[in-house]
Amino acid sequence: MNEDEYIRKDRLRFTKNSLASTLAIVAIVFDVLYFLNIYKSDVNRSVGDFYYQIRIGGSIILNLLFMLAAFLSSEGIKNYKKSYGYVLAVLGIIQIVRIFILPMQAHATDITVGGVTSKVMENGQFITVIIYLILSAAACFAAAYVGIKKSNELEAHMASLKKAAA
Amino acid sequence: MANLSLQHIDKIYDNNVQAVFDFNLDVKDGEFIVLVGPSGCGKSTTLRMVAGLEDISKGKLLLDGKDITNAPAKDRDMAMVFQNYALYGHMTIYENMAFSLTLRNENPNVIHKKVLAAAEILGLTEQLNKKPNQLSGGQRQRVAMGRSIVRNPKLFLFDEPLSNLDAKLRGATRREIMLLHKRLGATMMYVTHDQTEALTLADRIVCMSMGHVQQIGTPIELYDHPANLFVATFIGLPPMNIFDVKVEQGYLIGKTAQIKMTDEEKEKLADYEGKKIVMGVRPENIVEGGDIKVKVFDNENLGMNTLVHGYIGEHGDGSKIVAKLRGWCNYKAGDIASLEFTYKHFFDVDTQNAI
Repeated sequence: MNEDEYIRKDRLRFTKNSLASTLAIVAIVFDVLYFLNIYKSDVNRSVGDFYYQIRIGGSIILNLLFMLAAFLSSEGIKNYKKSYGYVLAVLGIIQIVRIFILPMQAHATDITVGGVTSKVMENGQFITVIIYLILSAAACFAAAYVGIKKSNELEAHMASLKKAAA
Repeated sequence: MANLSLQHIDKIYDNNVQAVFDFNLDVKDGEFIVLVGPSGCGKSTTLRMVAGLEDISKGKLLLDGKDITNAPAKDRDMAMVFQNYALYGHMTIYENMAFSLTLRNENPNVIHKKVLAAAEILGLTEQLNKKPNQLSGGQRQRVAMGRSIVRNPKLFLFDEPLSNLDAKLRGATRREIMLLHKRLGATMMYVTHDQTEALTLADRIVCMSMGHVQQIGTPIELYDHPANLFVATFIGLPPMNIFDVKVEQGYLIGKTAQIKMTDEEKEKLADYEGKKIVMGVRPENIVEGGDIKVKVFDNENLGMNTLVHGYIGEHGDGSKIVAKLRGWCNYKAGDIASLEFTYKHFFDVDTQNAI
């Protein structure tokens, strides 16, 4: 290992993992954009009562839990706690799975309001929310990757320091 | 490091109050200069002018021969340590020390090396991941110094850095600053109103009063050969005893005592025959066993020394005097002590300059 590489690893002892932490926050931001886009669909009940079911309650709770978990993981991963990296990876998977629940169902459902039949979620909105969820998932995966990688590096570095001191 | 030259510096505020008058000083590379004086004497103003935090009304400021009189503070390559530490509470010690270099977009690896080196010098390696509120006052002041060290500035400026510390910590931190100066060999300017700090730290002391420089010299010069009455009474603890005396036919005649002059004193005071002068005697230049009678009113035992407070004359109707006598004394109020002055300082009554 050259000196620059050694110092880069040694810096981890005193600096926060702000990249992983920021990526986790970015995942929250895209999730917020996603649910704002979904929830605004119901202005003037233009899509009938599609959203007025148990699924929307579940969606709200899921969003709240996602934001809480992602925020806590952001703080944990900032301090090189590897377990939060795994939590972020799971959150990323959840965001991918969510594509197949509410957006996919809304896109596949036709609704008739005032004699006019249309999709609950048109193509434009469908693509937008999918992009938000994919970006949110990607940010979670990236945060998990960076977090776990740097945590491993720090662990190995600390072990080598301990060995050298012994 | 740096040579600093202050030439005919004046500071006049907008309300026409002049804080500093014709300040001249050449600071050599690696020198430790201490500006000392009572509150309001202009020492901090002078330091702030050097740092670029105050405008210089008149005069020139040269750093390594380059005129920096009007240069902005950020371009002066100086680091200042403040009394209140000025640390960022939300940052760790490492981040606090690295902050100025981070702002300059220095390579993070270089920053890391510098911070670790400074922490090693200051004994802060174990504290780098802590926040300032987890450290003691002395440690916080060391962090403030560390933040200066990492910048490797041409000049270190200290503005009463120990004033917020308790007496014990002040002594320890003072020694650390002294060691730091020796280790770095850096040019330093230090402001204090504490003469102990001035005497122990300085290569040269600048003693100021009312915006004027009273004397510039080594600590021993200021102590042994004060230029005037102000320096004589300001430097030294307890302060020098002052007596009004008249020079007459080989004697110094006081209100209630007369002292025979030595041949050296006669020569020194030849022009003052028949005139009044001011005589100064340091408390530590007084010993027991002479023919000066002092009526004691207080006796403070300090262990190695005893401070004896009294009034000259058997009836105690003369001037007040404090003597720092060797050993443990047991004078009681009303006792008569027989004392002798081993060294005297003389000052002109009108100019107050040393004779």
